[in-house]
Amino acid sequence: MSAPTNTCQEILTNISGYLDGELDASACDAIDRHCLECASCAALVNGLRETLGLCRQAATAPLPDAVRQRARESVRRLLDRQEKES
Amino acid sequence: MPSADVKAEYAGLVKAAATGDRGAMEALLVKAQEVAYRFSLLVCGHPEDAEDVMQDALLKTYQHVARISEPDAFRTWLYRTVRNACLMKRRRRVGEPSNFVSVERGIDTVDGTVHVDVTDPSRAIDQRLIDGWVDGRLRQALRRLPAPYRMIVVMREIEGLSTKEVAAIAGVSEANVKTRLHRARLMLRKQLEHV
Repeated sequence: MSAPTNTCQEILTNISGYLDGELDASACDAIDRHCLECASCAALVNGLRETLGLCRQAATAPLPDAVRQRARESVRRLLDRQEKES
Repeated sequence: MPSADVKAEYAGLVKAAATGDRGAMEALLVKAQEVAYRFSLLVCGHPEDAEDVMQDALLKTYQHVARISEPDAFRTWLYRTVRNACLMKRRRRVGEPSNFVSVERGIDTVDGTVHVDVTDPSRAIDQRLIDGWVDGRLRQALRRLPAPYRMIVVMREIEGLSTKEVAAIAGVSEANVKTRLHRARLMLRKQLEHV
């Protein structure tokens, strides 16, 4: 694997903007071109994509049914009690 | 769902609940408890506290809804409330006050801020439920992040809050949130390589 270059350092600095779609097209192209030639930066970008993918899976994972059920029961108990008292 | 849509959904429920709509109140209170559960487990790393933090979120949300003046700010209020409940729960634990670790700060050492995991494995309730919920590698990697970074990455990448909302909850600038998020992503990726 080749030694890190100034471009590698720039990519490290801009990688979040790149992944968040905040960079302009020419900056994105420059990163894409560099990653074709630099295995280290390509691995970084792919690794971060995988990391964010895992986070997004967690974001959409529904809570366990038992937890949701307990939450609903607590809410109903509270609201029933409040209605009786009012 | 985009952050703005979720925020609007919360605001809609808050407005309806404040006018006495029981269905909206139920939905809002269930959401509040779900936020509390996820935050307890993923940010604070204390499954044994989850039930109490959920109860706290339930009661505080119920009390808050009737007098809320800015429905759009509800989501930020909820996460701040849940974060505080997690911290207070830690403070109240008998024998642990001297070990209290701020979600915001972690522990400062000469080498920087480090995460300290004080979870009591003997009280790991719901462990099977937790194992089946979120990828074990991700949870393990998150636990190894310094607390301030863990909170930012969970709120942005998993909870889907905007940079502005996270800044308001954490009490830091938006620029600071972006910087921490950048570092947190790199740290998380590195930790995932080792779990």
